[in-house]
Amino acid sequence: MKADRLHALAEAYGADLRRWPASERVFAESLIAADPSLKTVLAQAAALDALLDASAAPTPSADLTARLLAAAPKAKTRRYHLDRIALFLGAGWAAAACAGVVAGVGLTTHVTADERADAVLYQSTLVEVDDTEVLG
Amino acid sequence: MVAIVDPDEDLVRRVGQGDPAAAQTLVSRKLPRILALAQRMLGDAAEAEDVAQETLLKAWRQASKWTPGQAKFDTWLHRVALNLCYDRLRRRREIPTETPPDRPDDGPAPDRGLLAAETGARVDGALKRLPDRQREALVLCHYQELTNIEAAALMSISVEALESLLSRGRRALRLALADLAPGMKPGMTKGVGR
Repeated sequence: MKADRLHALAEAYGADLRRWPASERVFAESLIAADPSLKTVLAQAAALDALLDASAAPTPSADLTARLLAAAPKAKTRRYHLDRIALFLGAGWAAAACAGVVAGVGLTTHVTADERADAVLYQSTLVEVDDTEVLG
Repeated sequence: MVAIVDPDEDLVRRVGQGDPAAAQTLVSRKLPRILALAQRMLGDAAEAEDVAQETLLKAWRQASKWTPGQAKFDTWLHRVALNLCYDRLRRRREIPTETPPDRPDDGPAPDRGLLAAETGARVDGALKRLPDRQREALVLCHYQELTNIEAAALMSISVEALESLLSRGRRALRLALADLAPGMKPGMTKGVGR
């Protein structure tokens, strides 16, 4: 690491090496150890860090905390699970009923068609009988 | 792909199962952090509280569906909060207010001495006047203590671009606050601020 890079890192991340890229901390420390005059670079950055730290972080209000806790996910109760089972069974019965209706309608159509065909066949047979009777 | 180790993984799982103690822990661990992020991004206490509340409510909805190993829950929270902050900053730009534009800080002279709260207010004012992206970079790296890689990923920029934003932001702050720390040179370093 060159001294220029040390300047650049202090300029970007400040004086606290814990904020520096992990890969460059050791090199920075060795560079400063070799040239103690570079400590002034960190001292300059530390002055601005101290000012930044004067900005107080807000404290969440008790009201906000209470609102959030009231809205937090609730554990599923035994009643919830029974309701889910009832819902599942109800849905099963409803599906079976629907299937019955569909099958019934389909079967009715099929049976009706067969009966009509039989009736037509029967009538045509009768016509043939009548023709025989008429024609001799 | 390297699996992500998330210190909040177990906590989030328990929140998703409806454990009230876990919800309490998550609120005490994350709410101050997200509120501080929003406050520094928006510079408005009421708006910051709204953003923090909305972020945590989204966290409640996400908890039971959270898939560990894909991202840190803290990073996800930051992303949600930042998106909400940017929505509000965008709205501010679209709806101009009667508020006069920010002027260079003309706070009390250094020789009068400042209480810590006044210094804090000066710093907050100077932060608020930074361009949004410079402020975001500083807030994420200095105050939220995210790593440079996490901050760059959240901002969808390279680490080099992040360093440039940080350098420019810190330089602007040094200029704005020079009277508070007389020993602090406005043009501290060389070869930075691409």
